[in-house]
Amino acid sequence: MRQVPEMSDTTTATPAPAAPAPAGVLTARARRRVPELAGLVIVLLALCAFFALSSPYFLNKDNLVNVLAAVAVTGIVAAPGTLLLVAGHLDLSVGSAAAFCGAVLAVRARDASLAEGIALAIMAGVAIGMLNGFVTTVVGVSSLITTIGTLAIFRGLTQVLTDGQTVNVADFNGLGNARPLFDVPLPVFLFAGVMVLFWLLMRFTTYGRSMYAIGANPVAARLVGIRGRGAVFAAFALTGACVALAGLVIASQVGSATPQAASGLEISVITAIVLGGASLTGGRGTVVGTVLGLLIIGVLNNGLVLLDVGSFWQDVARGSLLVLAVSFDRLRARFDSSN
Amino acid sequence: MLSLRAIRKSFGGVEVLHGVDLDARAGEVLVLLGENGAGKSTLVRIVAGDHQPDAGEIAVDGVSHGGWSPAQARAAGVRMIFQELSDAPPLSVAENISLGRLPARGGVVSWRATRARARRLLAELEVDVDPDTPASALTLGQRQLIEIARAIGDDARVLILDEPTAALSAAESERLFELVQRLRERGAAIIHITHRLDEVRRIGDRVQVLRDGRTVLHAEAAEATREQLVTAMVGREAGGVTRPAQATPPGEELLALEQASSRGAFDAVSLQLRAGEVVALYGKLGSGVDAVAEAAFGLRPLDGGRLTRRGAPLRLRGPRQAIAAGIGLLPADRQREGALRERSVAENLAAPSWGRLGRRGLIDGGVEARAYARWHETLRIRSRDDPAQPIGTLSGGNQQKVLLGRWLERATELLVLIEPTRGVDVGARQDIYATVRGLTAEGRAVLVATSDYEEVVQFADRALVMSRGRVVAQLDGEAITTERLTDAAGA
Repeated sequence: MRQVPEMSDTTTATPAPAAPAPAGVLTARARRRVPELAGLVIVLLALCAFFALSSPYFLNKDNLVNVLAAVAVTGIVAAPGTLLLVAGHLDLSVGSAAAFCGAVLAVRARDASLAEGIALAIMAGVAIGMLNGFVTTVVGVSSLITTIGTLAIFRGLTQVLTDGQTVNVADFNGLGNARPLFDVPLPVFLFAGVMVLFWLLMRFTTYGRSMYAIGANPVAARLVGIRGRGAVFAAFALTGACVALAGLVIASQVGSATPQAASGLEISVITAIVLGGASLTGGRGTVVGTVLGLLIIGVLNNGLVLLDVGSFWQDVARGSLLVLAVSFDRLRARFDSSN
Repeated sequence: MLSLRAIRKSFGGVEVLHGVDLDARAGEVLVLLGENGAGKSTLVRIVAGDHQPDAGEIAVDGVSHGGWSPAQARAAGVRMIFQELSDAPPLSVAENISLGRLPARGGVVSWRATRARARRLLAELEVDVDPDTPASALTLGQRQLIEIARAIGDDARVLILDEPTAALSAAESERLFELVQRLRERGAAIIHITHRLDEVRRIGDRVQVLRDGRTVLHAEAAEATREQLVTAMVGREAGGVTRPAQATPPGEELLALEQASSRGAFDAVSLQLRAGEVVALYGKLGSGVDAVAEAAFGLRPLDGGRLTRRGAPLRLRGPRQAIAAGIGLLPADRQREGALRERSVAENLAAPSWGRLGRRGLIDGGVEARAYARWHETLRIRSRDDPAQPIGTLSGGNQQKVLLGRWLERATELLVLIEPTRGVDVGARQDIYATVRGLTAEGRAVLVATSDYEEVVQFADRALVMSRGRVVAQLDGEAITTERLTDAAGA
């Protein structure tokens, strides 16, 4: 996960200049560009080196597995989030939708059967995704507004469904806690699987290409014959499916569904994606970048705990890192386009 | 009034201006010519204070300045109209004209004074636009005139026009030239950047040609011949503006409009497009030429008449059907409608063909790179030979070649081009014409909607002239001349 990936043709480095490029830039452009993700890899390695030197526990295998386990749920949702964001769309409802799916599972498992609970939870996730997709693409409300709305709606419905109480789920701790291989928890494998799936989808399919095109320029995408609405709708539905999976994993990990489960998940997801180099306006971003973003956040959180830094200061550190990383990216882009 | 001496400027270690002089004199129009990449834009941006020169001297009224900031440039009365719009589309025309200096008393804006100033300036420019309409509702050309109105209202002493006529119709250009004339008589110094050679004599007093960051020609406008200018710009003997002979007689009819109408845009337009032909729709802004071209690509429904493809009626509900019917569009606004900005040239070129290039929905970068390699030479795209290069880093002309290449890769039979060479330099323009000519020689057909009469003269086998949504004249072959075109368009 931590080696420098082959980046030469995954992405492009320079955002389109707002003003016409100054004359002569063309010849200058022949100079090398700064590799897109080099900064992230350096930050990640530097953090690892720092924590390895400061704490004897950091490089421990169990601890590194903990880092991965801690970002697994965020990662399962961040993969489709990256797909949406390169097309210029955000889904802020992922946290409350995951909680809702968990609640559906818990309530149906209690009142009917576990199998029915799982099935309905997955259907609920996909349905929420399709609802977001429908309002965004067919009605034409911006995804930001749509999903702020569904964020509130499904947090509220979760409260209604659980009656504001924690609902226990019996006999369902395998998904979140099993360690099938190398003593690594199952959610880490799910995380890896989802990431690989979306990496393939975005890198090697015409569907992935069209999502980038839509984000880069929706008008131009339409004029070359890309079905913009269908593509974005599908991405929302995929997001819903992954959100349902995340909701099930959370419920399994803690053995219950709580009304406040996964709150703030949307912010962690967006932080990781943006840290990974995606542009909020679309057209730019990769799954590999998102994975690096997740790992940086995971290492930082883990290391600060090992160094016994209070959780309040962890928030400060995480926020600062995001702003610094994105600032660095902007400066790099400016450096690229001005020379 | 303003003089630059031995200006040098480098970007990231590459020198793009190698000691250029420039003089803007009161009451004089200096025409600055050069291909994209010649250094014109960098030079005028130095004049406007946007870029700082690495070496050289800038003097205003004989007084030399050590530094030259945007604020100093403004104080000296330098105003620049950029090639690309720098207006605020959601705001009204009146607000745009007074942008940054709304008439106000004690911080409260006087909308009455704002409107009055807008009306006065619009009347002076003879632009028939309601000051209360948002700029976003106007056409590109109209918005450009609004920007010029803003600069004029700002009492520019040195006015820099960066290709102002690229988006204007012949009539609007004329209006602009008259205005430039008036400003000149009032004692303003004007620097006019253009690609259009006929404008040198039309409005210029002096002409300065830049190539590769050096001044290669500096002469009185009246004394420079067309050939001299072209040779200086391109750096080689270039073909004149003589019409190319039509290679083959036109073949069967590929597309036709029969008495087609679209409410508010055009009425009873009939045209035929045959294999091997370039047919131009020429008209000024608002004449409906763009709308007819859009209708031929399914972007605008017809509410009267019909469209036929090889004689069979064709109903288009959108671009997808048009593309499926073998029609491709090169849109008017490259940045907003054409380029997938952050994406690579290879992706941009392959976009309409992804379905074919891929296999069962799968595709990889290599397939796109090979598609790009197929057309890189044919299109004469001047870039570093890297399919992964973002399209946004190419010059306008080269971007346009990539967008044209899209339809070559897709082997599209019919091309609809809207303002294909707007903001494209002479060299790239000839390359585009040559490429399109190559297509027609293979039996494809091209419909060009344009407000550039030079383009029609150089490029079209037949021309339909439109005015107010109707076809007012049709010219064939040798009958297509600048005079007839502008006469018919009601300029």
